[in-house]
Amino acid sequence: MKIFRLLTPLLLVIVAVLCFAPAAWAFCGFYVAKADTKLYNKSSQVVIARDGNRTVLTMANDFQGEVKDFAIVVPVPTLLKKEQVRVAKPQIIERLDAFSAPRLVEYFDPDPCAPVIIDRNLSILNNGGLGGAGGALSVNSDRSLGVTVEASFNVGEYDIVILSAKESGGLETWLRNNGYKIPQGAKQLLQPYIRSSMKFFVAKVNLDKFKQSGYEFLRPLQISYQSPKFMLPIRLGMINATTEQDLIVYILSPEGAAEITNYRTVKIPSNVNIPVYVKNEFNEFYKSLFQTAYTKEGKRVGFLEYARDMGSCDPCSADPLTPEELKEAGVFWLINNSSSNVPAFPNFGIPFVSSNVFISRLHIRYSRDTFPEDLIFLQTANRESFQGRYVLQYPFQGELKCQAGKEYKRSLPKRFEQEAQTLAKLTNWDIQDIRKKMKLSVGNLKYSLWESFLSWF
Amino acid sequence: MLFKDIRDYQILFLGLFLVVGIGTRDWTLRPELIGVLIATSLATQWILSLVISHWSLANNIDAPAATNDKGQITSLRSALITSLGLSLLLRADHWTTMAIAAASAIASKFLFKFGDKHFFNPGNFGIISALVLTSDAWVSPGQWGEEWWYALLFAGTGGMTLQRIGRWDTTAAFLGAYSLLEAIRNLWLGWTWDVYWHQLMSGSLLLFALFMITDPRSIPNSRIGRVVWAICIAGLTFILRNYFFVSTAVFWALFALAPLTILIDVLWLAPRFGWQEGDEGDEGAGEELLTQHS
Repeated sequence: MKIFRLLTPLLLVIVAVLCFAPAAWAFCGFYVAKADTKLYNKSSQVVIARDGNRTVLTMANDFQGEVKDFAIVVPVPTLLKKEQVRVAKPQIIERLDAFSAPRLVEYFDPDPCAPVIIDRNLSILNNGGLGGAGGALSVNSDRSLGVTVEASFNVGEYDIVILSAKESGGLETWLRNNGYKIPQGAKQLLQPYIRSSMKFFVAKVNLDKFKQSGYEFLRPLQISYQSPKFMLPIRLGMINATTEQDLIVYILSPEGAAEITNYRTVKIPSNVNIPVYVKNEFNEFYKSLFQTAYTKEGKRVGFLEYARDMGSCDPCSADPLTPEELKEAGVFWLINNSSSNVPAFPNFGIPFVSSNVFISRLHIRYSRDTFPEDLIFLQTANRESFQGRYVLQYPFQGELKCQAGKEYKRSLPKRFEQEAQTLAKLTNWDIQDIRKKMKLSVGNLKYSLWESFLSWF
Repeated sequence: MLFKDIRDYQILFLGLFLVVGIGTRDWTLRPELIGVLIATSLATQWILSLVISHWSLANNIDAPAATNDKGQITSLRSALITSLGLSLLLRADHWTTMAIAAASAIASKFLFKFGDKHFFNPGNFGIISALVLTSDAWVSPGQWGEEWWYALLFAGTGGMTLQRIGRWDTTAAFLGAYSLLEAIRNLWLGWTWDVYWHQLMSGSLLLFALFMITDPRSIPNSRIGRVVWAICIAGLTFILRNYFFVSTAVFWALFALAPLTILIDVLWLAPRFGWQEGDEGDEGAGEELLTQHS
């Protein structure tokens, strides 16, 4: 009875909280259009290399519209000088993506009649690259608006302005006066950043320089700063997007895996056997798998797709990054501690061989109502490897004459059915379709009806 | 006998959370590490109790109650609670880190004593030792997610336990002060309120508020003392979290302010807590006062 007396008010409080929580309202902005072109950034890629308080942030650019329309506003924790901003090679993001992307692995069943099973042919398929993210703006100073242009410089094809502001209305006006299309309601959203004494990194494309550079696409922008804040402002990024957005964050750390502190970090379903026909539709497969996992987790989690020490990979889907490439990706601690980072005190556990760079690939699909707060990260000492890995196991195709061969053949239908069910569960695809497609792809394995019937016993 | 002691409930709930967490959440929690935590805690408790009792006998001091059989069992209960709490909150790569955490947690009860009262929360002390002394320990504040049923589960069971112990005031003061401070900050910054609720709907925060700062053996004895103390912890947590960006702010705040307990106990004298009515206590003698609250 006592329990109920205590629980009732608690329940009431919780119900009240749930009922009166303000309804989510749509909001917008990471990219700011210079012209009327609607800018939607649906998938962004960000690389964060961090050791201690020092952070190097690389923002990839998958901007789809006209280059002249491109502009971004990014809240940053400190004032940035020209030396702290650079343009990174676009390939670096592709390299990181290829290295860490969820993958298919193929195995071929050995001849069950052959004496020992050794030859395991193994090949890896990569799902190829994802998109990128990046951004920019225009300049003019007006003290009366409370906006200070702290720095204004040019880096590669970008014109950069670093702004500090006293009040959000002034900043909004300043941006409008300088020709940026600021979405409605940006004012309210800029205020929290101003009040947390963050500065604004504003970049737009310098068309002349862009033409001179000879690049077809905009290159990633890279900024470095020193701050205890280990976060990524996603709220402003929702200015442009009307729907869910995808964000891939590659976190490079000397310690171990990174995770999100204010949302759950969940591993993507992995290491399962799926029907071999998926080889031809891997992208579709992974999209459905992600969507299914995302919905299942209530849309409020970040997914870990890859975690590993970058010094090793087995098997590698792409060559590990060279020290030069790592440096390009923002890793700045390579030179200093090339020897070891083995801690002084009680690490008398198993000594681990370490390359000193640990990569975590986080995939976050967010929308305004499910991710109200900016992402805050945490570096952990967790050195456990993980990857999104899906196994295709090809049945043996040759002649089967021995007893073991017959048993093997009889075991196959059961295995295929298992694979079909796994696939259906992971992707929410129709099991009948899967079965149909499987018949087509393993059609050259002939079974009599009688044989498949027998296999169930 | 079973469930007569309030700590049996705590063991049950913490164990339940552990099972629920491992079963439904994707935790980097390894069963062997939980085993190491439990084994080290129990062993340390047992060994140190023995050492203390021998030392007491040798020095002709009245052996504390902890050395008799009943006392031994009750203090092993406490050690089990500490290790379960550590399993829920602490993560590490190597088992040695877990052993250090558990051993220092239990040892802190014997080392940092003022009179008969240990003033560091053992679990908290273990977490901080692991974070400071080793390089591979971490706390995952986001691991519980924010789903409301977890909040309900935590609040419901925690509340039940608290009502039975009678230290709900600490939780209320801590959560009240902390949520008020966050609300003021949220209002000032101009975030929408869903940001605020998102911040508060953290399973780890509730776990801390309900099970860690309410440990009756290490917190101030008087109610006014507890309230003041809890508000101080909330304030320090708020500062560490929002201005120093420490993700483990609550644990540092409790660690830093734990010694204040002594001062507060001197300022506001009140009868000390005993686990069971009519119980001789597990270390102290004779204080069987189970403070009743409305």
